[in-house]
Amino acid sequence: MALEGTLRDMSLSDLFQVFRMGPKTGTLCLACADLRAIVYVAAGELIDAAVVRFPDRTVIAAHDEAVIQMLLWDDATFVFRHDPSVLHRPVRIRHNAEHLVLESIKRRDDLRSMLPYHHVTLDTHLQLSPLASGRESSVSLSMQQWRILSQVPHHSSVRAISKATRMPSDQVIRLVLELMAIGLIEIAPALQLAKQPLHHYEMAVTETEDRAPHLAWAASIHANGQAGVHERRLPVKRSLIDAVMRRVRGL
Amino acid sequence: MQILKIVITGPYAAGKSQFIRTISDIEPVSTDYAVTLDEERALKRETTVALDFGTIAINDRLSLYLFGTPGQERFSFMWEHLAIGAIGYVVMVDSCRPAHFPETQRLIARFAEITDAPFVVAANKQDDQAALPPSYIRRRLGVPAETPVLPCVATDRASVKQVLLTLLQLIATQVQD
Ligand SMILES: Nc1nc2c(ncn2[C@@H]2O[C@H](COP(=O)(O)OP(=O)(O)OP(=O)(O)O)[C@@H](O)[C@H]2O)c(=O)[nH]1
Ligand SMILES: [Mg+2]
Repeated sequence: MALEGTLRDMSLSDLFQVFRMGPKTGTLCLACADLRAIVYVAAGELIDAAVVRFPDRTVIAAHDEAVIQMLLWDDATFVFRHDPSVLHRPVRIRHNAEHLVLESIKRRDDLRSMLPYHHVTLDTHLQLSPLASGRESSVSLSMQQWRILSQVPHHSSVRAISKATRMPSDQVIRLVLELMAIGLIEIAPALQLAKQPLHHYEMAVTETEDRAPHLAWAASIHANGQAGVHERRLPVKRSLIDAVMRRVRGL
Repeated sequence: MQILKIVITGPYAAGKSQFIRTISDIEPVSTDYAVTLDEERALKRETTVALDFGTIAINDRLSLYLFGTPGQERFSFMWEHLAIGAIGYVVMVDSCRPAHFPETQRLIARFAEITDAPFVVAANKQDDQAALPPSYIRRRLGVPAETPVLPCVATDRASVKQVLLTLLQLIATQVQD
């Protein structure tokens, strides 16, 4: 078993955040055309990496630079496997993952392809990432990144931040993507629709007069709920739910 | 006989059949068929085409029925039939397959249209140490704060119980007495 996908399913910067959250230990292997890469992760930290060209196995980049190279790939397949033996490997990467992500961002024109599944527009609402709390690593942000970050708790939409900072919106969007890539902010989930009042509630108890409810139900699928079953909808009583909870607890 | 119904849904190979198998009284009635597409076969050999079904007898007058939905999107026409009348549902997601997140988001949106019943998200296969944590899955699926996203190991009875209990507690806060 392993965590698997492509960088379009999950970006490298997201993977690094997840490694830190775990914290995870293991090997991350990537394949992009004729290039292969490996990153060793020990207790959430990136400790060693290399990019190799196949089939001649020429080393293209190693250590910090290898990670930066991989961060510039828009797509690749990846597999991450847990492997406790990585804890005994020598540490060859000097900087933390956030630093390397920020370095790679400086070399990129288009940040959208770095986070393909995050669609940031003027109407996107943001929040500080709860994942970011409790981590001891220091990230050095630019003045502009700080300006945006400091606005997030007060003005949640990108439009409001742009107005408050008097920065052009495309610049704000880029800075927002940068802060998302290092895991400091995230898109706030859309507000749920107001709950329906209880009497509109779909919940029901199905009462059948049949001795074999299991068969009765099977019949009801085939006959669209008509044949063999006498159905009545009742509001669910709290006492029924309590009875189910007691039973499930005792299983 | 009174019947309460809970639906176990989620994308392909998330662990829905396993979840029902782990907690049911009876050997669940399931209709798994050999997978046809090569790509899908690489992931697993059998898929649930019609439905998984399991029961938990509560007492001699009340039973809890668990219905699994077919995982592949091409069978989504069945969701409506299964969801109607359910007191709640579990959205299962494979924590090791981020490629399934967009489909899971579509599924969550579709179920919210079909039913008002409360739901929890089960971040399954947490026994793999490489699995994505529930907090990341919450972020990626855009699940609102009031909806629990729970760690789950569908092969483990205690874990399945915990997911069901959390859903039942959520349902209990929303029924009258
Ligand atoms: N390691 C691990 N494997 C699991 C877990 N749950 C399910 N599996 C495995 O994942 C595969 C898919 O599980 P199923 O229960 O068939 O998934 P499903 O959601 O019913 O799949 P469809 O009916 O095809 O949509 C099977 O090989 C299971 O044994 C789990 O918690 N941990
Ligand atoms: Mg199944």
